[in-house]
Amino acid sequence: MDIGRRLNEARVAIGYTLEKVAQESGIGTSSLSDFENSKREPKFSQLSRLAEIYQKSIEFFLTDEPITENVMLWRDEPNTQEEMKEKETEFRQLCEQYHKLEVCTGEQKKAKLPEPDVTKPEEFDYLQAESFARKVQGEFFLGDVPIASLKQILEESYYIKIFYLDFSGSAISTMSPEFGPAILLNRRNKQWRRSYDLAHELFHILTWKIFRLQNADYCIVNENEEKLADAFASRLLMPQEPIERRIRSNIDEQGHITLDQLDDIAREFDVSLLALIYRIASIFRLSKEDTVKYCDAAERYRKFLKPRASYRPEKLPERYCDLALRALREGKLSLVQFAKYMGISYKKAQEYLTEDEGFTDGKISISVA
Amino acid sequence: MGKFQFLLLDAGPIIKLFEMGIWEAFIEKCDVTISQTVANEAKYASQDYEDICIDLEPYKEQKHIKVVDLEPSEVKTFYEKFNLQYKAIIHPGEKEILAFLINSSEDWKLCAADGAVFRVLGFSRRADQGISLEEILEETGLSQSELEWQYTKKFRDKYTKMGQIDSIQG
Repeated sequence: MDIGRRLNEARVAIGYTLEKVAQESGIGTSSLSDFENSKREPKFSQLSRLAEIYQKSIEFFLTDEPITENVMLWRDEPNTQEEMKEKETEFRQLCEQYHKLEVCTGEQKKAKLPEPDVTKPEEFDYLQAESFARKVQGEFFLGDVPIASLKQILEESYYIKIFYLDFSGSAISTMSPEFGPAILLNRRNKQWRRSYDLAHELFHILTWKIFRLQNADYCIVNENEEKLADAFASRLLMPQEPIERRIRSNIDEQGHITLDQLDDIAREFDVSLLALIYRIASIFRLSKEDTVKYCDAAERYRKFLKPRASYRPEKLPERYCDLALRALREGKLSLVQFAKYMGISYKKAQEYLTEDEGFTDGKISISVA
Repeated sequence: MGKFQFLLLDAGPIIKLFEMGIWEAFIEKCDVTISQTVANEAKYASQDYEDICIDLEPYKEQKHIKVVDLEPSEVKTFYEKFNLQYKAIIHPGEKEILAFLINSSEDWKLCAADGAVFRVLGFSRRADQGISLEEILEETGLSQSELEWQYTKKFRDKYTKMGQIDSIQG
């Protein structure tokens, strides 16, 4: 048990100085330094306080298991390194908590995710991205309008952990050996931007073995991979046949469609008007010049529109909250932990502890025999 | 009536005793020991309450209560006895106080308002070392109005039994 090394690792991961930790914990910098250099050990209460500040579980400091590295792939990094580290730490902690809830409720499930037909990064091109998007649509039973069910299917059927936080970047994806696949999206972004980010990050998760495990620079996403992820996202969210049908049913006798009609289609598929125009350009093989012209027109047109409504999602997934409540009622999660996991006060958490007539004992169940 | 000996308190009952305004009377009648982490957690949790502020430091200094502050290795020894499922369920304060109880040869009673604590006691075959706030208040003559579900004997029994079943089923 090398507490010193783990304390140092946790502090560096969140990007805090010893002075900042001293200020927050009330433990002097020389003591903190002694702890990190293994000159002496903190008391358990001090360790608990530090675990809280570093957003790590106490188990992280007590275990002899090797420290697992979780690669976090960013799409548009935040403005500062400090924010980046803090968000990565917060996201990792939420994923670890989710995993613990799955473990303690016996709901730790894995589902085989679809895999591309190629196995090497250099074999992946736009055609592959297109055919892989088609494969995913089929395996996920996404139907004509994929975004309507994509998030729910990823969470409920494939157990991908999806959280929303406020930050200045765009999104993160990770594939942890400990807690599995997970995606972080930005709550502040518009709904259609988040939809696109979700599909984009899904590409990274589904191709993790190809682009991460076979690459020495596995933490870095190169430009080509990002373009492929965008192409995949576009094709996943706007499948060719339904888009073609919508366009053909709206065009006039001269084969034209208005921006108003396109905007309606974009709203239905929960994508931006520009994303739809690029997709149409790809499907109907429009020239580059025409595509740029239509995009310019769309930009000008947008200024005359009433802004689209965009909902603000909850930070925590529904399944996570359900598991936390179940764990609490089954005596598998302490009240303080429950409050922390749910981001609510201890006082509020107590309200969930009502006598439940034995629902949690399995005394009340429905017979379907 | 003699003092209630060897009593360990978790954060929930401490907050409730302050809320009921009987903390001072309670420590008169009971030899209370808590863990430092529980003291910190009770202080932190009480920030949500408008009318109470829990700072146990003065009580510790005046030796009205005892506060134990364990070494991480002592908690680790306790923690390693559990399977993965049980490791996840209790927070650091409870880990510390349970580690203290399990490492001690004295016949401590642990008063909590948390299903997870009673479940661990049942699982560890120490069901008789758990006690609800309702039972202590009755024993010390401090009972007032009806307590919420988590402070009752019925609550303790329910979760202790769950732990005992886990222990038998493995």
